[in-house]
Amino acid sequence: MLTLSVNGTKHVLPVAPDTPLLYVLRNELKLTGPRFGCGVAQCGACAVLVDGKEVRSCIAPASSAVGKRVTTIEGLPAVWAAEKGLSEAKILHPVQQAWIDEQVPQCGYCQSGMMIAAVQLLAKIPDPSVAQIKDAFTNTPPSPHLCRCGTYAAIIDAVQRAAKAMRD
Amino acid sequence: MLTRRCFVKLGGALFVSLRLPAAEGETSLDPAQLASWLEIRSDNTILARTGRTETGTGMSAFYAQMIAEELCVRPESITLLMGDTDRTPDGGYSAGFLTGAENVRKVAAYTYQALLALAAAQLGVPAEELVVNDATVSGGGKNIRYGELVQGQHLDLKIPITGKPVSMDPTAANGAAGLDGFVVAGNPPMKTMGQYKVIGTSYPIPGVPAKVTGRTQWSCDVTLPGMLHARMVRPATLGSTLISAGSLDRKRFPTAEVIKKGNLVAVVSPNEWEAVSAARSVDAGTKWTEWAGLPGSQSLSSTLRKYDWGSPAGSRGNAADVTAALASASRTLSTSYEQPYVRHAPIGPFVAVADVRADGAVTVWTHSSHSQGLRARIANMLGTPAEKVVVRWLEHAGQYGRTTFGGDGAESDAVILSQMTGKPVRVQWTLQEDLAWSTVSPAWVSDMKAATDANGLVSAVHSRFYSPNNFDARLLGAMLAGMPGGTTKPGSWVATEWPYDKIQNRLEEAYAMPNLGAASVSGGLRGNIMRTPGQRQQNFALEGLMNEAAAAAEADPIQFRIEHTTDQRLIGILNATAKAAGWEPRASPHPNARKSGIGAVTGRGVSIIARSNAYWVGIAEVSVIPATGALQVTRFTIGLECGKIINPRQLDRCMKSGLVMGLSEALKEEVTFDQGHVTSTDWNSYKILTMAEMPDIQVVQISRDDKGFGTGGEAANAVAPPAVAAAFFDATGVHARRIPLTPEYLTKLLKA
Repeated sequence: MLTLSVNGTKHVLPVAPDTPLLYVLRNELKLTGPRFGCGVAQCGACAVLVDGKEVRSCIAPASSAVGKRVTTIEGLPAVWAAEKGLSEAKILHPVQQAWIDEQVPQCGYCQSGMMIAAVQLLAKIPDPSVAQIKDAFTNTPPSPHLCRCGTYAAIIDAVQRAAKAMRD
Repeated sequence: MLTRRCFVKLGGALFVSLRLPAAEGETSLDPAQLASWLEIRSDNTILARTGRTETGTGMSAFYAQMIAEELCVRPESITLLMGDTDRTPDGGYSAGFLTGAENVRKVAAYTYQALLALAAAQLGVPAEELVVNDATVSGGGKNIRYGELVQGQHLDLKIPITGKPVSMDPTAANGAAGLDGFVVAGNPPMKTMGQYKVIGTSYPIPGVPAKVTGRTQWSCDVTLPGMLHARMVRPATLGSTLISAGSLDRKRFPTAEVIKKGNLVAVVSPNEWEAVSAARSVDAGTKWTEWAGLPGSQSLSSTLRKYDWGSPAGSRGNAADVTAALASASRTLSTSYEQPYVRHAPIGPFVAVADVRADGAVTVWTHSSHSQGLRARIANMLGTPAEKVVVRWLEHAGQYGRTTFGGDGAESDAVILSQMTGKPVRVQWTLQEDLAWSTVSPAWVSDMKAATDANGLVSAVHSRFYSPNNFDARLLGAMLAGMPGGTTKPGSWVATEWPYDKIQNRLEEAYAMPNLGAASVSGGLRGNIMRTPGQRQQNFALEGLMNEAAAAAEADPIQFRIEHTTDQRLIGILNATAKAAGWEPRASPHPNARKSGIGAVTGRGVSIIARSNAYWVGIAEVSVIPATGALQVTRFTIGLECGKIINPRQLDRCMKSGLVMGLSEALKEEVTFDQGHVTSTDWNSYKILTMAEMPDIQVVQISRDDKGFGTGGEAANAVAPPAVAAAFFDATGVHARRIPLTPEYLTKLLKA
């Protein structure tokens, strides 16, 4: 049995400790925001936040998240509500809203991980330049966040839009 | 033909469905069983159904806009149901807007006429005096909503169609017929472009909020009671056959099971992680025969060069005129271009769920871009009537053409495993498996010969395009299991549209050969089409030739193109894109071009492509460090005139993102293989463009009301490789005639 705190809720789960976090989130908790991409931490489709830091859930054993806060895109509205001191998560996280406003997703398969990377970046750099965004999405270990549809330009626009919304 | 089916107490609707032609009584589809195309409901909502699917380019927005325009309703009132074979009427493959839009447009136009007739009768006002705005019909001082017109009754409208459902056809290169599905017949009155209110606006894609919040149900999310998770154990090489499957350690994997049929080996378990771990363990103990039927990617070009291609599979032009023109030309120019195997390589590997019941009923959950084609192929594999098979479509990672003609990834695996286990089975491919076993976009070699006149203008062109099979949509799981996987024949075609009408002497020939490794159990490197199929590869050669001819003539490459065409649409977008890029006319290479040294040199290059009533222009600006061969595209201006623009914002994003794929193909992508295996099987060995490598992108769009609709998104990738290669020449004075333009290749060129 493992106890995991995911999107603000504690779950006691009958899973082998070496099970990658991704399979636990998807199959046990039915949180399908994080997705299976490469399985070897090379693409970013499975990214989630663990204590606010991006983790590739396809290779992270579920046991590594015990005692920490796991956040998927399903939990981002609550994260934003908490930051703003609101009692209820009634609105989307500004990153999600910016992703809608900029119509970022094409197929959309990688975008859950892209939004997680954006949330982490904006926590560190509230007003990132284009160069800083490109650097964060390309050079942050363990790998670049890859989009095969090629939505990088829309992602840059959306990150800057979200940054503005979060500063205002 | 509008009829009343019955009166109802609650609600009411107008159902718009197909009227099958009498001559096609042999069709296996029962019209009474067919889903309606449109439903106009009493609550003023509209349900539209299409066999086509959203592939990420915005079809779900464009179809809604089309229907809304012809019906005079808001697009928000329309819900689209896409791709399910039991719930959509028309079939057809999802290869872009033009393949399906005319159908929904005509359906809506027919329905509009029926609604007008209903309103005329209800209001007692002649139809031609009625005005419709946002689903409200007005005339004679009276108003009525569409919902009120259908209130309390079920009405039927039958739309005339032509075409047949998909069937297997061994005479076709891709092994199937009826790929377009049903096509709406007749010519109902339609809005003129000048009347458009919805088309031309940036209506958002309906599915985006769900994707961004985690509410979308993707095909990988399907779970069924009792479902088993499967991982495949693939042959050691593309041609190996099974000697013996590895055994399972029951203590470590208590609920897992090895399943095999012929050369298809899998491990299933109710627990996904157990399936993953057990499959790795079984894989290590599984024995396969040796096989070495591939030439190795290092020898790809020489292998293609040595092949006896015979006569062309497709040709266009006048051989006698071209031969004469080349013989009498003052100068000729001969060049050859090479392009490697590349892969569609979506971020999400293939995944599918199948449920094969004891009574023979089969349901498959897929993200195929051609549900009806997949249905026909699965039925063919099982030897069962198509009526027994239902294909349900859900969104997933982009396909970029790899399931065209109904080809599969994990679908036949899942069906076979479900049939054998008697349980629903979900098959998730790994990335490594996907990059080795999915269909692949074949390599091309092109030989170009041009005659030029005394002014350096091109007077004749002879193009010869060579490639392995582009039309293999056979089911991999079926082939490995020894079941009917369908058929394929190497075919080829002249894909380019000729943009230079002043060059009247031209001969284009396309030659085909089987897949590399075709004789193996798996079919070897199974070629299927990929974004801008054939056009991208042939255009790379044609535009490469035009850039080299311009350089030989010491002419500005944009002006040189303008001198070879009278097409004002092409000239218009060339000039507009050049202006946006700040293009100053001069010949290439740049006066400061240099092929050595550690300091960066810069260059710029242009290319065009004409495709499906659309004209594209790409202008690349690059920075090259000659000593290292490092090339960075610093800025790219992409222009498009595609007739009427339906949705400027979605077109903008399609142009930018398609360009990113094209730059990726120009700079990085190459499927590598040795004699037995694909060796580029992860993102470190099959490299695609990263965000940091994306240049500043500037978009130029021209919309016009007098040329109909053209292709919007797809061909964006095709303008990148020739423009970047031309920019490299401009910077260094050295022609690059092969992609990808990797530092290794460019260094070799510069040192030669």
